[in-house]
Amino acid sequence: MEKPIITFARWGNYTVAFKTLFEQLGLEVIPPEKTTSQVIAEGARMAPEMFCFPMKVTLGNYLPALKKGANTIFMVQNVGGSCRQRYYGVIQEKVLKENGHQINFLDFRATPKDIYRTIKEVSGASFWQILKAALFFFKKLRLIEKIEKTAQYCRPRELEKGATDRLLSDFFSKLEKINKEKDFSNFKKDALRKLKGIKIEKKADLPKVGLIGEIYTVCDPTINFEVERKLGLERIEVHREMDITYHLKKIIFPWKDWVIQRKINPYLRSTVGGHGRDAIYEILHYIKEDFDGIIHLLPMACMPEITVRPILEKIHQESGIPFLSLSLDEQVAEAGIDTRLEAFIDVVKGYYQNKKS
Amino acid sequence: MTIGIPRALIYWKRPQFWESFFESLGFKILLSPKTNKEIVEWGVRVSDPENCFSNKVYWGHLLWLDGKIVEASPHLSERSPVCDFIFVPRLKATEEKLEYCPKFFGLPDLSKILVKTPILTETFDPRKEKTEKTFKKLGKKLKKGSREIRKALGVALLKERELKEKETREFFEKIRSKKQKIVLVSHPYNLYDEYVNLRMKENLEKLGAEPIFIDEIPLEKSKVRSQKSKLINFHWEFGKEIMEKIQEILKYKISGAVEISSFACGCDAVLKEFVASEFKRNKIPFLYSIIDEHTGEAGLQTRLEAFMDTLK
Repeated sequence: MEKPIITFARWGNYTVAFKTLFEQLGLEVIPPEKTTSQVIAEGARMAPEMFCFPMKVTLGNYLPALKKGANTIFMVQNVGGSCRQRYYGVIQEKVLKENGHQINFLDFRATPKDIYRTIKEVSGASFWQILKAALFFFKKLRLIEKIEKTAQYCRPRELEKGATDRLLSDFFSKLEKINKEKDFSNFKKDALRKLKGIKIEKKADLPKVGLIGEIYTVCDPTINFEVERKLGLERIEVHREMDITYHLKKIIFPWKDWVIQRKINPYLRSTVGGHGRDAIYEILHYIKEDFDGIIHLLPMACMPEITVRPILEKIHQESGIPFLSLSLDEQVAEAGIDTRLEAFIDVVKGYYQNKKS
Repeated sequence: MTIGIPRALIYWKRPQFWESFFESLGFKILLSPKTNKEIVEWGVRVSDPENCFSNKVYWGHLLWLDGKIVEASPHLSERSPVCDFIFVPRLKATEEKLEYCPKFFGLPDLSKILVKTPILTETFDPRKEKTEKTFKKLGKKLKKGSREIRKALGVALLKERELKEKETREFFEKIRSKKQKIVLVSHPYNLYDEYVNLRMKENLEKLGAEPIFIDEIPLEKSKVRSQKSKLINFHWEFGKEIMEKIQEILKYKISGAVEISSFACGCDAVLKEFVASEFKRNKIPFLYSIIDEHTGEAGLQTRLEAFMDTLK
């Protein structure tokens, strides 16, 4: 077999961490292309018409990497339980092969055992090497998530507009190149210090908006047209619970699911696949925390999110919290989203003012 | 006491089973009428716009049972509900531990939001609980003892088996027919609902073909394992069944295949790829058609005619 050159599914800012994981294992990596409208169009052209949006996008992300010489694709299946994500790998492999790409498709289940076995087979790394790479991967992941969280706090409060975003893009490009443990800890210290150094209004009391919905669309700023940043610049604090750590925690500690189920029992008494239950849990949580708005993001016709949307709408009607549901697919234009966001921001600010007075 | 059953979606997974089960327990059954224009219109109006067409039809049937759709007489719109309960089971897995469509999981909860009539429901998940026990729990809700439940279950299963046997006999008759045989691949709720599939069966018969529903193809239980499709192993009950039945039907001489999908059906997006490539590999002409509330019969007619011409 020829030497494997890896590419994988792109996922927002976390792509950097995945890239490091494979590099640490001594594999050659060509990272997937950044998501642009061109990439989305290419993917949508090749994918089955009625399939969900993230599958089309990740397919589009592979293509330029494959052109550059990648020959092995990593794809995790069964991330969300009952939903279609389980078949991403199978369909992508089929579609790519039908289009004449000679590739080795590694489609594995999201269990530690399966992941370990697949990685071992491809890289031939020792157990310790894999463990070390995995630990480094988690460290990087945690830092990325921490940076994102801090940015969510700083952005609406910053005194100099755009300071947070400038820092962020600088961090992510630097982080991509870091491969050594020592460099990493230096970088971490430096990054956190710089983030702290952003000049902010400490006492500002701002309206808060919760971001809920499907994990891929919520986490990837290039897919959701940077909803987080846009709201932040309008001086609205954005909160989002959904990220990779949240998801991994749920796999490792199943009782989180039981707690969620107990909380949402009056509304839904079963799982509906994907993160359907989590959306209801989060909206209830945010209402309890006295938030001023909820944005629900989903890929067009996502099965779990569509099933729970009527429930979310009912909760929204009962509590009166502003609620905006945005379905994203290859047909959606940024201008349309912007208009709806602007209107929503007005509603949120009005709601916030009313509540205060 | 009257129990209402919507004649859509999960009803077609086991037609007549639930009716005869409740009837032999001594309940009256109110079955919603065959799908018609009003029902679809109401369903579309109340449903989430991105939900699949089959689900929208189901909401329409629920509203009919709730007494909301009154036959073109607006002054009657305040009529009291026509049944005491509406039965909406939560089907999660089959006896073979294969999953149903995830959209079925939330049906009872969404129905509760939609209608005023109380919903009678029970979760059927043989992976977690024996089906017999589930039925017992259902009986408790209806204040029926376990012996009565067992008896009713026996009657219902017998009825279901009779229906299957009749289907099998008809299937072999159809196979013997000299007409061109067309396999219709879809979910039972698309195949048996004539309004939804735009009388596909009738139209094919008019064009001189012998339509065979994928649902009617008999599968012997012992053979099932050996006939695993080489392409994919589905965790969905319908996916696995359809792939196996395609393997079975390929043994006979068939002239063509038509797949019908409801618009925005998430499962069919996966299934279609493999159904299509299975037929293509065996060089059988294949027509794929998506239906929704806007599909016109004339458009489908034209496509069917063109398809039939290619077979000759």
